[in-house]
Amino acid sequence: MASDVTIAKAGQAAPPGAFRAFWAAFSENRGAVIGLAVVCAVVLIAIFAPLLAPYDPVEQFKGSTRLPPFWAEGSDPRYILGTDAVGRDMLSRLMYGARISLFIGLSVMIVSMVVGVAMGLAAAWFGGLIDVVIIRVMDLIMAIPSLVLAILIIAIIGPSLTNTIIAVTIVYLPRYVRLVRASALAELSKDYVTAAKVAGVGPFRLMTVTVLPNCLAPLIVQGALGVSDAILEAAGLGFLGLGAQPPTPEWGAMLADTRDLMLSHPWVMALPGLCILLTVMAINLMGDGLRDALDPRLRKS
Amino acid sequence: MFRFLLKRLALTIPTFLALMFITFVMIRLVPGDPVEARRGERGISPERHAELLHEMGLDQPVWKQFADYAGGILQGDFGTSIISKTPVLNEFLTLFPATLELTICAMLFASLIGIPAGVFAAARRGGIYDQTLMGVALTGYSMPIFWWGLILILVMSNTLGLTPVSGRVDLIKFYYQPVTGFALIDSLLSGQKGAFWDAVRHLILPSIVLGTVPLAVIARMTRSAMLEVLEEDYVRTARAKGLSMRRVIGVHALRNALIPVITSIGLQVGTLLAGAVLTETIFSWPGVGKWLIESIGRRDYPALQGGIMLIAACVIVVNLAVDLLYGLINPRIRHGK
Repeated sequence: MASDVTIAKAGQAAPPGAFRAFWAAFSENRGAVIGLAVVCAVVLIAIFAPLLAPYDPVEQFKGSTRLPPFWAEGSDPRYILGTDAVGRDMLSRLMYGARISLFIGLSVMIVSMVVGVAMGLAAAWFGGLIDVVIIRVMDLIMAIPSLVLAILIIAIIGPSLTNTIIAVTIVYLPRYVRLVRASALAELSKDYVTAAKVAGVGPFRLMTVTVLPNCLAPLIVQGALGVSDAILEAAGLGFLGLGAQPPTPEWGAMLADTRDLMLSHPWVMALPGLCILLTVMAINLMGDGLRDALDPRLRKS
Repeated sequence: MFRFLLKRLALTIPTFLALMFITFVMIRLVPGDPVEARRGERGISPERHAELLHEMGLDQPVWKQFADYAGGILQGDFGTSIISKTPVLNEFLTLFPATLELTICAMLFASLIGIPAGVFAAARRGGIYDQTLMGVALTGYSMPIFWWGLILILVMSNTLGLTPVSGRVDLIKFYYQPVTGFALIDSLLSGQKGAFWDAVRHLILPSIVLGTVPLAVIARMTRSAMLEVLEEDYVRTARAKGLSMRRVIGVHALRNALIPVITSIGLQVGTLLAGAVLTETIFSWPGVGKWLIESIGRRDYPALQGGIMLIAACVIVVNLAVDLLYGLINPRIRHGK
């Protein structure tokens, strides 16, 4: 309840600084701020991986395979987090892995958001047959469980990083389309839209400039949570050998690589999974905070 | 109610048709020669090639091929596996009970822990228990389950030696005929001492792994549904009447809060049936998910085509059943729109 009051107060002062109002509501949620901090850290690591990483992620040091991380006995100070089965530096691979995972997550989110907005607005504006076709196709995509659909798509177009992005995008597209369509339909019946129509605004401008900004709050929340879902899904595909192919340092694929080593060298398996978990958790925390700050109506999870 | 039922049934028909169409197109999109892709043979002589092309009906016009394919499916012909040369439907039906058993156990695990946990969290809103539980739920929700499975194997099986690493049955000690296909029931029917306990032990880790994400979702959902219900007037009335908080929460509030929770449980069963792919792969669980992945590895496209069709059909049927059940519980749904 306390945050509702803040939002209401901040809302009144919103015109001079919408961002400040948002930040006041967002920063009240401790978890969300922690999430944001971790996400920022991961983003920085991903961007500056070539500078931060001590070695090339695919370079194999023949003499120093399967070294443990620094806290364990027998570790080598040159390889802080140890090395994998063929002597690649774990720290460097994990840093580059952040790049790949975030790249997948963001690409999926951006592409499905752009396509989803276009299809959702089209369905809401045209109605009739176009609406029915779009909604039916989306229902069909949702009827097939996400991982199975992704596997089906990968089985046809072959496993690779790009194809992972394509498959996961198709899987998550319906969420955006349905969300945009539903909010646009709700907005279209409002007076300000009628006013804009009477004022002579054309359909394209009406949908993009007048209606779309009012559908943004739930869309942003969906986008944030969509990034973490996409990262998990892509890591799962990588683990099954249907995602990024070796020697790409993708976290899911790294996990799959190390299954034989699991018993004798558990850290090689533990670290990539921990990275996935922490990144996804941070994004989810941030997403929950975004939802609470942007739209208190959506608060029930 | 009857009209609602008919309407929901009618809505699944186009979905099934489209599903047939997608799987039909899918096998056509596989790069390379269609005869080789479907027979798994390489270097076939031109005469044999033409013969096979005719045998499989690939020399017919495309619409005729689709009609044949759809007609076959309606008669239960989902194609024949390249590798085992057995009908896909038979293979699916042998493996499906294993997946179903795992899914049911995972869902039981998730509901039996998730619902009480969510109720307690709502009752003590904002307290240390609530915060801890929501933290744990967030972790569960964000968990890469393939990693979680490996960690559990490492700790529970290898370090502590509590549970078996993989499979459904300890084949060295036990052997019994698959009567129902459910290891829990078959082991009891076999009458062998310790067989049932062995089946239970094999189920523990996979159920936990598959049930982790639903557990988190159910706990969060129960909590928020409960919080919403606790604000209602009838709850205040019940309190004002002098009923204890325990009774109000346990009887008055819970009953109403559970409606959305049960729906979400139902819908997740559908997702889990298919989502078992990762869990089955980690634990070498002989179910349909593992079979699907192996079919990709073996380039067994007919098995893949039929398998995906069958899994999606199961999910559609489960979702339909949940919808109908929901309409039964909640009249607003069946009369609205």
